[in-house]
Amino acid sequence: MIILGIDTATDAVSVALHDGDVVLASSEIRSDRQHAEALTPMIDFVCKQASVELWDVGGIAVDIGPGLFTGMRVGIASAQAIAQVIDVSIIPVTSLDILAAAVQTTNEVIASVVDARRGEVYWSLYRMSDGKLKQVGKPQIGSPEMCAVDVLDRGQSTLLVGTGALKHETEFRERLNPVLPALEFADDKYSMPLASTLVEIAHERALRGEWVLVDEVVPMYLRAPDAEINWATRSAQ
Amino acid sequence: MIRVDEATVVLGIESSCDETAAAVVMGGNDVLSSVVATQIEQHARFGGVVPEIASRAHVEAMTPVIRKAIQDSGVGFERIDAVAATVGPGLVGALLVGVSTAKSIALALNKPFIGVNHLEAHLYAALLDDPHVEFPMLVVLVSGGNTLLVNMESHGKYSIVGQTIDDAAGEAFDKVARFLGLGHPGGPAIDREAKLGNAQAIEFPRAMLHDGFDVSFSGLKTAVVNYVRKYPSISTQDVAASFQTAVVDVLVAKSVKAAQHIGAKTIALGGGVAANSLLRQQMTAMCAQHGWRLVLPSMAMCTDNAAMIASAGWYRLLQDGPSELSMGAMPNLKLTDRTNA
Ligand SMILES: [Zn+2]
Repeated sequence: MIILGIDTATDAVSVALHDGDVVLASSEIRSDRQHAEALTPMIDFVCKQASVELWDVGGIAVDIGPGLFTGMRVGIASAQAIAQVIDVSIIPVTSLDILAAAVQTTNEVIASVVDARRGEVYWSLYRMSDGKLKQVGKPQIGSPEMCAVDVLDRGQSTLLVGTGALKHETEFRERLNPVLPALEFADDKYSMPLASTLVEIAHERALRGEWVLVDEVVPMYLRAPDAEINWATRSAQ
Repeated sequence: MIRVDEATVVLGIESSCDETAAAVVMGGNDVLSSVVATQIEQHARFGGVVPEIASRAHVEAMTPVIRKAIQDSGVGFERIDAVAATVGPGLVGALLVGVSTAKSIALALNKPFIGVNHLEAHLYAALLDDPHVEFPMLVVLVSGGNTLLVNMESHGKYSIVGQTIDDAAGEAFDKVARFLGLGHPGGPAIDREAKLGNAQAIEFPRAMLHDGFDVSFSGLKTAVVNYVRKYPSISTQDVAASFQTAVVDVLVAKSVKAAQHIGAKTIALGGGVAANSLLRQQMTAMCAQHGWRLVLPSMAMCTDNAAMIASAGWYRLLQDGPSELSMGAMPNLKLTDRTNA
C-alpha cells in the first residue's frame, strides 16, 4: 500500500511516498513560516516524481506535533482534506517519535527534544532494546532543566536529538555530562522531523492496524492557548 | 483553459475569523448547501475572538463541516469543478487552515483552486438571491471590521468611495452593547432593545454628516457613554434606539451622497450590520424614494459564510482563472487588492 507522509510541524516542510517496501520519492525544505505556500506544490511534485496519483494512495501519515502550532495545522488540515476526498484513513505520528526513529544509536536512551520557544522544550524519552525503539513515558513540555531531570532519572547513556536539544546544548551538557555514563547530541541534519522517516514509521504502524478516522486526528499541542493560561491564572487568584 | 458556466460547481471554504464554513454553489449563485459552525461560545468568556483558540477550533470543525456541505448539496466530491477559500483579510493562523484545506482538496480532485478576498465575497453575498444587477452599484459593506462605501463598476472592479475614519459600524454596536451590559455580539442585542425604546429620546451626534463620504462612529460611542454616566436612570432601550437611529441616519445619508456621486443604478448591503432591521428598513425607504434598486442579502448571508466565498470564487475563476497552489494567507488584504497578483 502506498502511504503519503506530510510533515510541517517544525521549520521544515517535507513530503514522502512509501510503497510498503521503500520510499518512492521525498522532498524537503527548511521554510520558516512558509508552510502553506510550500506544502501543496510539494505534494504535487513528490507524486509526479514517483508517478503516483493521489487516488493510488491508501493512507496518509501526518506529523501531529508537538511543534509550531501554525505549521502543524497546515499539515494536519491538508492531510485531513486529502484523506476525506480520497476516502482513506490517517496514521498520526508525533514529531518526537519521528526524531527518535531517524537516529541510530548504541546508547540506551534517546531523548527527542523539540524547541517550544519561550525557553521551553517538548520532549519524550525512548529506550533502545534489541535494536527496537520503545517510548518511555509521555510527551511533555517544560524547561530544559525539567527535561534534564527526566533524562537523569534514567541515568543511562543518552543521545539527545532535535532543535530543542541543540538550542540548549550547553545547559544539557552542564547538567548531564558529569552524571551520565555517555552523552551525545545528534547532528543538526537530524534536528527536524522529516516525512521520509515518518512514512517508514507509518508503514510499520499500518501493518499493525494503527489507523484513525479522518475526524479523529488530534493535534498534539501540549501547551494551552495563552488566553486560556491567563484566564486560568486570573481565575485562580 | 477552464470552462466556467452556469453548471460550474464551486466548493467554498471560509475560516478567516470565528466561523468555520463550507458551501457548494453552482453557477455563481445557486446555493446547493451552506454550512456554518460558529465558535462564538468558545470566545465568549474572553470578550473577543482569540486567534489561537480560533485556529484550533477551525482544524476541529473543518472536516465535519465540509462533509456536511457535500452531503447537503446532493452532489459528491466528483461533481466539484473548483475549490475556493478565503485567503484574506483575517487572522493569519485561522486563514491558513482553510487555505491549506482548500488547496489540498483541489489537488486531490485535480481541479482549480481559487483564492478569494473575503471583503469581495461580502459584496457577492447580496447578489446570491439577485444576481442580475445593473452597474454601477454602490455596495455598503458594514461589519465588525469594516465600514466601506464601494463603487462596484462591474464584476471584480471596485473603488472605495467612503469609509470609516475610526470605528467600524459593527464595532460601535459591539462597544455600546458591552457598555450597556447587553452582551456579545452587540448588533442583534441593540437591535432587539431598540425595538422597545424611543428613538427620539436622545439627540446623539451624527458626525461628519455633511462633509465628504467618510464616516466616524467613535464620537457617537463616546457621546453614549457620557450621556449614560450623566443620566444613569435613563432607559437602556431608549439609549439603544437613539444610538441605532444615529448610526443608521449616517449610513443612509452617506449612501445617498455616494450613490448620487457615482451615478449608481443599484445599491447593495453587505456584512453583519446589514442584518440590522432599522438599516434594512431605512435603506428600503430611501431607495424607493430615489428610484434606486436595492439588493439586500438574506439574514444568513450577512454574517460570515462560505456560500459567498464560493460565489465570489466563481466570478474570480471566470475572470482571472485559477490561483496558484503556492498561494498562502494574506491577512492584510484590502478590497481593492487582487489575490491573483
Ligand atoms: Zn466577514
